[in-house]
Amino acid sequence: MKGVGLIFKKEWMEFSKDRRTLLFTFVIPLILFPAIFMMMTKMAQGDSVRRRGQASRIVLNDPGGVMKPFLLEETKLFQLVEAPGGDLKQALRDKKFDLAVDVEEDAPGKLRRQEPFAVKAMVDESESASELALKRLKEAMQKQDQVWVQARLEAIRAPKDLPKPTNLIIEKASDLALEMSKLLGMIVPYILLIGLYTNAMQHGVYMTAGEKERHTLLSLLSTPLPRSHVIWGKLLATFSIGVLGTVMNVVGMGLGFLILGQQAVGSEAATAGAAAAPSLSFASLASPATLGLTLLLLIPLGLFFSSIILVLGTQAKNSREAMTAITPGIFVVVMLGVFSMSPGLEKMAALPYVPVLNVALTIRKLFSHEFVAWQYLLAFVMTSGLAAAMAWVSTSILNRESVIFKQ
Amino acid sequence: MIQVTNLHKAFTVKDGKTKAKKRIEAVRGISFQVNPGEIYGLLGPNGAGKSTTLRMIATLMQPDQGTIEVCGLDTQKEGEKVRGRLGYLSTDMNVYERFTPRELLRLFGEFQGVDATIAERRGLYLLDKLQLTDFSDVKMDGLSSGQKQKVSIARALLHDPKVVIFDEPTTGLDVLTAKTVLDLLRVMRSEGRTVIVSTHVMPLVDEICDRVGIIFDGELYGDAPPREILGRYSVRTLDEVFFKLAAGGGR
Repeated sequence: MKGVGLIFKKEWMEFSKDRRTLLFTFVIPLILFPAIFMMMTKMAQGDSVRRRGQASRIVLNDPGGVMKPFLLEETKLFQLVEAPGGDLKQALRDKKFDLAVDVEEDAPGKLRRQEPFAVKAMVDESESASELALKRLKEAMQKQDQVWVQARLEAIRAPKDLPKPTNLIIEKASDLALEMSKLLGMIVPYILLIGLYTNAMQHGVYMTAGEKERHTLLSLLSTPLPRSHVIWGKLLATFSIGVLGTVMNVVGMGLGFLILGQQAVGSEAATAGAAAAPSLSFASLASPATLGLTLLLLIPLGLFFSSIILVLGTQAKNSREAMTAITPGIFVVVMLGVFSMSPGLEKMAALPYVPVLNVALTIRKLFSHEFVAWQYLLAFVMTSGLAAAMAWVSTSILNRESVIFKQ
Repeated sequence: MIQVTNLHKAFTVKDGKTKAKKRIEAVRGISFQVNPGEIYGLLGPNGAGKSTTLRMIATLMQPDQGTIEVCGLDTQKEGEKVRGRLGYLSTDMNVYERFTPRELLRLFGEFQGVDATIAERRGLYLLDKLQLTDFSDVKMDGLSSGQKQKVSIARALLHDPKVVIFDEPTTGLDVLTAKTVLDLLRVMRSEGRTVIVSTHVMPLVDEICDRVGIIFDGELYGDAPPREILGRYSVRTLDEVFFKLAAGGGR
């Protein structure tokens, strides 16, 4: 098997000579994802802070003057504005104000008679500022309702807690780390599937159809190395570059999630007090066992994808033809990837028996701390079998003269 | 030594117009022998079957019928051993442009199972012979096509092969580079190697070939020293032999 090692070495040497490809395969993913996540967080945070710092503009129609006093009290939250002329709905969509509130005319009378009165709010749910205004209105009304209820209770000398017979105390079973880990478990299979396929695609095509195109394949085949060693060496090189590139993507994404998580921790700390802030680290997102088992699953999956690429790349006359043959596979992989992110996927009974998707399912369960040994083994064995079959096909294809000398 | 006996090879091709598949016999019952210390010229027009014959000798293709022996080894049964004793170069071969000549030769030395020190020494010797010493550490995407061809020659000869097959070795080369290649072929003959050169450049044949075989439409005509062939066809140049063969449909 020395020949396999020699071809593997040659492919890696050739790959390492191209610094730009090295940079884009291994370094950029490490920088790109954290940078994108950081940027997104900053932007969302900036927008949220800006909106929270501004009072919501309310168009209030309150003929009885029931609500106006307590809304005016909250100057930081509400700003009462004049109703613009014309269609009110259109004006709201045009962001001329954030919320229109219409209070029933007989509200003071109903309040006196202890009857509920209606308050209509017009909101634009596609606008976060309008949604925030509605949320603030609900909170202000809830507060005011309590004031009125307490006054009524006092009038009949009833205890303050009369309208609140129960007190719900919520205790979170999952911590932030598990929530983030589950989220990561949904996205990781998608990234792995696409990353493995596209990375293998680029480098596999260069090593097969690219060699034909550059007229270097014949010099390789004219050496005493068996053809099976040539193709296996290329397979291993495609696989290793693909897996490493994908791992870099996942690590980059993990770093991104860490940034996102730290941001969430920051928000919680702001609400609960700095001392109560939970800790979030890379290890809390994915344990060494989770990472190890995921990496182990990447071996057959990477080999399977690499073999597919080598079969198609070897058969093609040149890189363009190879890319044309391989590109439809991206759509298939993207579809599988998107499917693997669907909620409730783990409840599908047949999924552990579906190739490729069972790998996605297994990884998802690993990240959700729900390891099922037989499912893991099944996914591993099934994908290994597929990889072996495709590797055999790619070897037999390189033995065909019509493939080598295809013009 | 190379012994080719009753070689046949056919390809299935698709007709561009009718889309029907048809079988083309590229090589039809060719037999010849090349001895150590001899340069054998395989001549013929484009598509005559020269490259197919050479690819079969180099074990890159399998014959449909017939046998080939290289250094006493059957090419169909002992392909890997044959390739270890054979240096093959053709026009449709190029160098790995991301490497320097020195790196490429070191790598192919490993492929050929040559000891690293010996490969390094022999590589430098060949680069010197081919006047490439100054370029031995230059990345090959910066070399001219002639220089790349020279590196290919060094690559084919690195493992000190007993049998050398050069398919159109001077195509695309300038006069000076072509002369270097021809000089190298003469050196190989003097070293007792078995050499086959395929070409359609007739002066080259006159200059270096001890014997020639003319392939026309998949069949071998001649197989004799160049002068003898000229006498047999009563012509003054080998080009005229082609014309006669073409006019007579190979007869």
